[in-house]
Amino acid sequence: MANTLRLYLTCIRNTLDAAMCLQNFPCQEVERHNKPEVELKTSPELLLNPVLICRNEAEKCLIETSINSLRISLKVKQADELENILTKKFLRFLSMRAEAFQVLRRKPVQGYDISFLITNYHCEEMQKHKLIDFIIQFMEDIDKEISELKMSVNTRGRLVATEFLKQFI
Amino acid sequence: MRKKGISLSMACLERASPALKEILLKLYHANKSTEIDHHLYEFGSVEYHIQSSASDEHITYLSISTPLLTQEVLLPYGFSHRTKQMVTAICPDAVEIIEPAKEGYQLTLRLDFAKLPNGKDSLKVIAEISAVQARILSSRLKEILMNVNSQDSYQGMYKPIKLVYRPSEPFFIIIQPQKIIAVFPIHFTDKPDVIIATTFFQELMDVGSSEKWAKAPPCCWSPIPPPGLRGELFEDLSTTGGFVSFEISPRHVKGKKLDKTVWSLLNFYAYVKFHVKSTRSFIQRRMRKRLEGLVELLHKRNIKVEDEEEEKRRHKIQGFKCTIRIANLPKLSVLKRRYNGFSRTIKRIRSRIRIHGFGRFRHRWLKIPKFSSSMGYTKLE
Repeated sequence: MANTLRLYLTCIRNTLDAAMCLQNFPCQEVERHNKPEVELKTSPELLLNPVLICRNEAEKCLIETSINSLRISLKVKQADELENILTKKFLRFLSMRAEAFQVLRRKPVQGYDISFLITNYHCEEMQKHKLIDFIIQFMEDIDKEISELKMSVNTRGRLVATEFLKQFI
Repeated sequence: MRKKGISLSMACLERASPALKEILLKLYHANKSTEIDHHLYEFGSVEYHIQSSASDEHITYLSISTPLLTQEVLLPYGFSHRTKQMVTAICPDAVEIIEPAKEGYQLTLRLDFAKLPNGKDSLKVIAEISAVQARILSSRLKEILMNVNSQDSYQGMYKPIKLVYRPSEPFFIIIQPQKIIAVFPIHFTDKPDVIIATTFFQELMDVGSSEKWAKAPPCCWSPIPPPGLRGELFEDLSTTGGFVSFEISPRHVKGKKLDKTVWSLLNFYAYVKFHVKSTRSFIQRRMRKRLEGLVELLHKRNIKVEDEEEEKRRHKIQGFKCTIRIANLPKLSVLKRRYNGFSRTIKRIRSRIRIHGFGRFRHRWLKIPKFSSSMGYTKLE
């Protein structure tokens, strides 16, 4: 793993570790309702300051925290047009199947490619450090997958081009 | 896997119409004469009419209507002599051109299945008859390419020729001294398709420019139309995927190469489309696989968490060792153990103080009768 990426991921890990102190907290506006405060933002006293971690202009991570929920939004690097469509396709594919992940948001926050919503219930079901591990692993895997996909598309293109030119010889 | 994918893509660009081939093969293999009147449509503009009557055994009429490759007007007597010759050359005994052709069609063939050669050759001939439309269309491009070397016929004439092999996929042929340039305007509606196709064109340029492929026609891709296409219609020049051009020189149309070159050029669009489609499906397959991996990763972590919790619970309980031990033993052994404990207590109660020699005294004088079970009985004396 590149050194800068490791630093970036470590920073996210530490921030998540500090931010993921969630507890059950019923809605203050509606009785017998329990909603993720980070989404509704009804009471400012229940929200913490959002943290933005940037590796560069194209790669960043926004961590928004509230008393009972946490929202992580990721922007994945897209060096060229092919990477751009591959990233969009892949992350859209994952978002469409968000129910399989439980913590994945169906629609990313504006300006980001993918978002996670973690509530206190998720933290109770799955352990906090395991969730953080998953998020970091997810980020690593996405980067790896996109570069592998790009390489495969280029290799396929080269092979098909070779086959086409063979017909003239 | 990759090799297989590529060979499949090659197989997809078949010359013969699969539906027409199937019908002709059915007619050929049928033992008794059957009445057939089929209309087939392909690519929206190609029409086949297959007619066979019960009275005329072995005879089938095949009529073809196809848009022409170029915008030229059809001769009053139908296709050119060369094209007709090429069609009858498939099997002169079995294939005959009927003139004039049926109304609404450009070519009518009389097929005599009785005169077809026996064995595998008959299948070959039927496959070639099914590919007549492709032959007709490729004949025009063949004629153009055959004249690549003769400067006299095209001297001073550099106006591009627009060819339409498939509707909405036109391409241009620009005749230049000693070479012919084939220009393909590429148009895709979806942006991902455009990017995949562009990646392919860049690879095509890279591969073509390498020394190994020096004999292949030089290929060039540009997002703007080449200068040779100046003056063409705006709709033909407005593309999303740019323009791909191949420089065909005389060595690419020599002898048997001519047929291959013509076929490759006519099907370049289909080839690119097939590549784009298969790449998209490849990406989809890969994404699905990756999704499974990521979900598994999360669930594996969950299972680990549950296991750890179970372990912790066990550790907590370990304080009450006796309870755990009893809980783990089978019922019978628990009862046995309890009974043994009980009897030991009674014994202890019975001999609280030990006096030397008192045992013998107790045996003789203080004999306690044995306990009898509630289920058993005592024999009366």
